[in-house]
Amino acid sequence: MSENVVTRTGIKGLDSILLGGIPRTNVILVQGVTGSGKTLMGMEFIYRGITQFNEPGLIVVFETNPDKLIRDAAGFGWNLEELQREKKLQIIFTSPQVFDQELRSSDSLLLETASEMGAQRIFVDGVGLLTPLPGSVNFVRSGFRELFQQLIESLNRENLTAMFSLEAGNASDSKATVEMADFLADTVIELGRNRRGRHIQRSLEVIKSRGQDYEAGEHTLQIVGGRGLEVFRRVQAPLRAHSTQPTSDTKQSLIGVDAIDSLTGGGIFEGSTTMIVGVSGVGKTVLSTQILREGARNHKTRGLLVSLDEHPAQIIRNAKTLGLDIEAEVADGTIQIMFESPQELDIDAHYNRIIQLIEKHDIQRMVIDGMTSYSTAIGEISVYRDFFHAIVAYTKQRLMTAFFNYENPEFLGISSYMPDFPVNSIVDNLILMNLVEINNALHRCISVVKSRGTKHSFDTREFAIGQGGISLVPLEEDVVPAIALQNYSSLLGRAPTRFSLPKRINGAAVQDRA
Amino acid sequence: MPETSVQRCVDGVGISSLCDWDVFAFVYRHVTSLISTEHIARLVGYKSKVVGGALDRLERQKLIERSRPSRGVRLYRVLDSKDAERRRCLKELVILSESRAGRLELVKRLSPVRSDSIGEEEPSAESMN
Repeated sequence: MSENVVTRTGIKGLDSILLGGIPRTNVILVQGVTGSGKTLMGMEFIYRGITQFNEPGLIVVFETNPDKLIRDAAGFGWNLEELQREKKLQIIFTSPQVFDQELRSSDSLLLETASEMGAQRIFVDGVGLLTPLPGSVNFVRSGFRELFQQLIESLNRENLTAMFSLEAGNASDSKATVEMADFLADTVIELGRNRRGRHIQRSLEVIKSRGQDYEAGEHTLQIVGGRGLEVFRRVQAPLRAHSTQPTSDTKQSLIGVDAIDSLTGGGIFEGSTTMIVGVSGVGKTVLSTQILREGARNHKTRGLLVSLDEHPAQIIRNAKTLGLDIEAEVADGTIQIMFESPQELDIDAHYNRIIQLIEKHDIQRMVIDGMTSYSTAIGEISVYRDFFHAIVAYTKQRLMTAFFNYENPEFLGISSYMPDFPVNSIVDNLILMNLVEINNALHRCISVVKSRGTKHSFDTREFAIGQGGISLVPLEEDVVPAIALQNYSSLLGRAPTRFSLPKRINGAAVQDRA
Repeated sequence: MPETSVQRCVDGVGISSLCDWDVFAFVYRHVTSLISTEHIARLVGYKSKVVGGALDRLERQKLIERSRPSRGVRLYRVLDSKDAERRRCLKELVILSESRAGRLELVKRLSPVRSDSIGEEEPSAESMN
């Protein structure tokens, strides 16, 4: 839609949900429960209109004290007083009855004011208060419906793009008012204030918008101190760009260790997705650090490590103790580390921040460490799955090489790769890192169980973590001198069995007594 | 706000009665109001005639401005004084009057409200327009 036929709200993230903006002169109804952010949205619509698009505006309030609006706006860095002095904004306190009569009057002071200041936008806070007076013609006829229609007509005549806020209550008359207003308005935006466990999450949904397409569904809305509202597109929404998915024939070394690349069949394809599955403590994060370090140092690719578990400083310190210094890469931005606490994680906002980092720094290798923390933080398995699908689709579209660490909870024997999150069919490569108990010691083993488009090895190999990170233990070396690893079976089941030899006394085989 | 400053500000802005002050503070806090005299009277708790008189005085003193009347209502707003000291005083007095102690300070310095000025009236035909 071309720019001169749409009104851009200027609210961060909202115009992209509206695919550019709202058709000009559409009557916009913002409805929601108390505390959902309706007044703030109206104020920001007017404020951004003035400051970003040079469209003067009016704010009409019935109940709120205008000086409190000015005070609240100042908390977001919006100087409404100055805009009033510059005659770009008028905040008008009036009663619903006066407002109604003004819009029907041929010599309306309100519309005269709007015209004098060249207003292009108007926000009316609390349109549900427009109740006709008992005994008036409107009261006898169809009440609110007619008043609202008159209001729309008057504002259309003045070529004003109007936004109204409407409180959605539970009473039957309130529901009827909302239904009627929904029908008459051109664009209906519903704001939600939902309880998730013990915390509150705000949401935004475009219910309808005449004359345009938009991103349907419930998106996340946040009130950001010092800035205003921010809308985050829901992660489930499919990408609008339907260009052909790019592929690459180029293979890259995983961590710059030939022996490990030989397991994957000579490296992994650019643009592939890899799930690294393993129990806690097996070395998944070390492998991740090496993956990003290899990318940055030997392939000139910028990397991103996303963690819900460890702070950047701790990741850098741990890597350094293994001789995997990434401080320089982090300092010069070649490797980005994004940490976000899993407490009250808002997945739409989190996903958006990942995407912004990728695009800002042109990230080509990414590790998410690890998926299990998302499961705990998100709670709902369907949302968890949607997040994963969205991020895989996005990385594929950008031909990024992505790695996902998954902590397998089955310490005493793996019965499935990903018991609570069976998405192994989506990824291209699956690397299994496992702890194997031999005699009284745990040994680290690695297997490549899936690598699409590659003739990979199915060998399980022992690896060690030392200075320089992960290295494979040579096959010919007896790590456990008495009994070599090859003498065991069922290593992946984590209950290895040794091929037993009969006990001998003086060279003759004897039976053990029970 | 020191007591001497309060007195200096009260003298400087030219408001002498508590009623005029309350009406001024209403207009100040509501930035721009499109409203009838009766409505202001209901919200501030005085009789309409008293509020009407206060609005006249405030307009004469160039503290507020009001538009032409339209069906019983006018646009009211505080006149942006060119005198920076007067602007500062008005702002400080409005802030002061928002606390009980501050209001008592003003009550001491302004002429009191007559008891027959307080209270609601029957709505006039004009206010029902």
